[in-house]
Amino acid sequence: MSRVAAQFALLAILFFGLWFLLSRFDYMRLLRVDELTKEAEHNLAGLILDELQKGGDELGSDTVLSIVGGIKERLCAANGIADSSITLHIIVKDEVNAISLPDRQLVVYTGMIGYCKTPEELSGVLAHEIGHIQHGHIMKRLRKEVGLSMLTTLAGGDAGSEIARETARFLSSTAFDRELESDADAAAVHMMAKADIDPQAFADVIFRLSREKNDIPKRLEWLSTHPNTADRCAEILRLRKQETFHNRPLADEASWSRCKKSLRRKSVSVK
Amino acid sequence: MAPGEFFYKPDDYESERASNSYLMALVVIMAGLPLPIVNLIASAIFFLSNRRSAYFVRWHCTQTLLAQLFTLPVNAAGLYWTLGIIFDRTPVSNGYVSYLLTIILFNLAEFIATIYAASQTRKGNHVVWWFFGPLTELLVKA
Repeated sequence: MSRVAAQFALLAILFFGLWFLLSRFDYMRLLRVDELTKEAEHNLAGLILDELQKGGDELGSDTVLSIVGGIKERLCAANGIADSSITLHIIVKDEVNAISLPDRQLVVYTGMIGYCKTPEELSGVLAHEIGHIQHGHIMKRLRKEVGLSMLTTLAGGDAGSEIARETARFLSSTAFDRELESDADAAAVHMMAKADIDPQAFADVIFRLSREKNDIPKRLEWLSTHPNTADRCAEILRLRKQETFHNRPLADEASWSRCKKSLRRKSVSVK
Repeated sequence: MAPGEFFYKPDDYESERASNSYLMALVVIMAGLPLPIVNLIASAIFFLSNRRSAYFVRWHCTQTLLAQLFTLPVNAAGLYWTLGIIFDRTPVSNGYVSYLLTIILFNLAEFIATIYAASQTRKGNHVVWWFFGPLTELLVKA
């Protein structure tokens, strides 16, 4: 019996010892895992962005871009995120939607900017999407729902436009898991408070979206991808109470009005 | 794992049955690599069907079954970890790659040992594996 125990102990030592020794090598660097993942994300984001841009032109330098860019900058600066690490794209489209893409790309439709009554409301939507980006939710969701093999094909650039279209449609029209949504909401509340923006505005825009969903269901795509509104609003308000912030306005009235005027010129519905 | 003499000389039929228990393990390794439980089930079926066989046959069936029993959790852990990565519950890490290499090396060693044991038992030689041999000795009575 003692012979069996001794041999088992030696076998276990051999197994764990070999595992330990082999784990001394840096396979992540040897196999270029991080580099390949980044490269794949970059290619994937490019394909999806091309697809989204077919639905509307992307805004170049413009009043709208500078206001929205300014909000993103303030959120990032207050939360220790390099502003340049997140690329903002504003697409002229009436749909009320904002989408986070792989490779830290953030897409906001002019329909969403026009829908927000105040820059603070818009900052809530942006903070929520930045929350998804910061927590790595996008690749997590794509790996889970679309599958690794398809992602690899897409990233390799061999996929047909149909697959790219489907992935873009998937990202812009289906919801994250409830758990991921809650994470992004919590991140948004925290980011807003840190940037001295009242998170109440975030709850307001969600509440308004849910109230108006029967009037303009087709345009309110962002709401259909962010369900369970009542629970979410309650949770946002609960989290808000735990934060301390000194409300500082995001943009003066005149700049926000200029932004809205610019949207109207692009035939975007404005609240 | 050196081949040795059994305490009696097994006849040709016994040698063939004993050798088959290893061959069975060898064949199902192909199917069992993605699903480790397949190996164990196959070895268990072979073991049960040889419960009333000669001592030499029972002894080697038991040794094969025990080896499979110990390999199962090791390979299943590798499979579970891989599925976690595919479904993105865990990221690829140094620990994962080294574990995968370790189980590949252990499975390879088992594969070679199984081929060797199959050929030796077919000749009527007795093969006692490290740890599994003495354990079999304790469990199988003449």
